[in-house]
Amino acid sequence: MALTEYDSELDIDPMFATTHREVWRRLGECGTWWTGTERVAAMSEARAAFECQLCSERSDALSPSMIEGTHDSVSELPRQAVELVHKLTTDPGRLTQEWANATIDALGEERYVELAIIVCTQYVIESFAKCLGLALLELPTPGEGAPSQVRPTDVGDVGAWVSQTLDKALANVSRAGSLVPDTEVLWRDIVQCHYSRGPEFAELVWNRALSRPQTELVASTVSALNECFY
Amino acid sequence: MSLLRASSEAVNTDVKIEQLEDGANVEHGSALVRYTESAVRLDSDLTESRDHLLRIAGAQALVEAAATVSAFEGLNRIADVTGIQLDSGLVDESADFRSDLGIDSYAGATSTKSHGSAQRADNVMGIFR
Repeated sequence: MALTEYDSELDIDPMFATTHREVWRRLGECGTWWTGTERVAAMSEARAAFECQLCSERSDALSPSMIEGTHDSVSELPRQAVELVHKLTTDPGRLTQEWANATIDALGEERYVELAIIVCTQYVIESFAKCLGLALLELPTPGEGAPSQVRPTDVGDVGAWVSQTLDKALANVSRAGSLVPDTEVLWRDIVQCHYSRGPEFAELVWNRALSRPQTELVASTVSALNECFY
Repeated sequence: MSLLRASSEAVNTDVKIEQLEDGANVEHGSALVRYTESAVRLDSDLTESRDHLLRIAGAQALVEAAATVSAFEGLNRIADVTGIQLDSGLVDESADFRSDLGIDSYAGATSTKSHGSAQRADNVMGIFR
């Protein structure tokens, strides 16, 4: 059962607790390509990745591909799914297209994207808690049902490693998970809550507790530390 | 980085993007960078850097910093795992500093074919055209 409010003296805007609680619950629901049980298993793998010996050795290595071995898995997910979750969690800046293609061949493009969205969304919520010294939420209760396996019709090759919507309405990163729209909406909700906040994104001057230059300084520092090109 | 420069210019701040580690001449910049580094690396001094930022900038600023750190931890990952290209406006906007700052050497750079032509956009949405 997720906490309803963050237990903190920081007077955290209830927007965060409300959004996190709702998104967290829905992360555990049955998805389009993975069951609720599998999605929650992936979330447990994301937590386990921080204690995984193979991930630790690869993170320290000059080239992660030089280190072979088996992840310290805590679920029954396919090996390639565990690899995706662990690597995306612990060493995202050194993912390669060759690795992505091999993982997609094994899992399927849609399952790759849905799992990636789950990991990234979970990472935002849990990173927020760690940043502020808050307790992590308990993993959600898995929802029931069978994946619908419905692929959107308006997707195709837009120059990324995975198919995305052909409609470029906003930044490329905003359509990164558009192959699985029912899960992507959780990702969008969390980014809206934490950063973009609707039309405010288009303004260069923000009326927040941090100015936009201060916010973008933090953002740029994270991207530099993660060696993220985007 | 592009939005750091553009938003600083909008409030007439002489931002120094080449001095990111020192705070780039942004108010409370060095404390924000120190906190961000500790949070991303989950360093042992995270509590100390958090308390320092809280003291000098206040609780709401700290929460916003945490929200931004966590958002970009996710945004970096979704960009890297899906291999998206830079938007054409972003390629142009960042063409004059990507190489100097070593950004073109990141693994994800191979996803973007164009090097851009060092043009500045008129507004935020122009950067992401």
